Amino acid sequence: MKKILPLAFLGAAALIFPVSVKTIFLDTPIEKQMGTVQKIFYFHVPLAWIMMLLAVVCGVAAGIQLRRDSKRAEAISIAAAELVLVTGLGVLITGPIWGHATWGKPWTWDARQVSTGLLWLVFAAYVLVRHYGAAGSERLAAGLAIFGAIDVPVIYYAVKVWKTTHPSNDVAGSLPSSMWAALWPALIALLLTSLALLIIRVRQELTDVTLDEAWIALDDAGAQPAPVSGDA
Amino acid sequence: MAAPDNNTPNDDYEPVEGLDQQTVACVRACESEAAAKTASDYEHIVWAYGVIWSLFAIYGVFLWRRASRQAVEIADLQQRLSS
Repeated sequence: MKKILPLAFLGAAALIFPVSVKTIFLDTPIEKQMGTVQKIFYFHVPLAWIMMLLAVVCGVAAGIQLRRDSKRAEAISIAAAELVLVTGLGVLITGPIWGHATWGKPWTWDARQVSTGLLWLVFAAYVLVRHYGAAGSERLAAGLAIFGAIDVPVIYYAVKVWKTTHPSNDVAGSLPSSMWAALWPALIALLLTSLALLIIRVRQELTDVTLDEAWIALDDAGAQPAPVSGDA
Repeated sequence: MAAPDNNTPNDDYEPVEGLDQQTVACVRACESEAAAKTASDYEHIVWAYGVIWSLFAIYGVFLWRRASRQAVEIADLQQRLSS
């Protein structure tokens, strides 16, 4: 069952994705102010939500790892951080593409853009420290992950606190039902894909830990002197 | 050949009214601008959607390669244990 779960998620996402594209392009009205390009919204916004969710998951898992020295929490933290990089890069590329068409400028240095860029850099630092850091650097990396998770509310409230070119957080709440009908399938398809990749990566990390322990045990067994036989 | 007589009572010909050259040119310009905007919008959308799914695909390939490496390592370990 555990092995099938990510495949089931990917399969479901593959089924929902065409429905999502059909709903976005054929069933949803064209937004009056921005025109057709507003359809980027249906993937850009869910991807940003997933990025923030994964950043929080990574920060919480890193906190548990620090407190309880849990290998599972450590694996979740590493997997979530890598997916923050993937989804974050998606957000940071699709946002400027949308901005280029709507605002006439891909990057306006607005607070939400900058705080999202900062989040991505923090998790890039986390992944680099995890990959190249010396023994004991996992504690420093966990600190970075917690710092990154704290950036999530900054991204959310950036449009309220500072003057930005981004629309306010109330936009999602005020969407007509036809637009929500297009947003849900896109969100579910992206969420299922992200969850499947997360589960696969967590398992790989746990397998790595088990393999490392097995190699060490094997080397230790090989290094020990052969047991003395007989009663001498 | 004689020119059609517009004053003939049963003639099917009806002159088009209300679309002078200026209006037609204005409508065509608006249509052209709207078509260009829609084409540009779709180009942006294709890039955006392409980037998102390419990133997931690239990460998927990264995971698959990692899984292949692990399978080789597990086989190596099993061989060492059985020898």
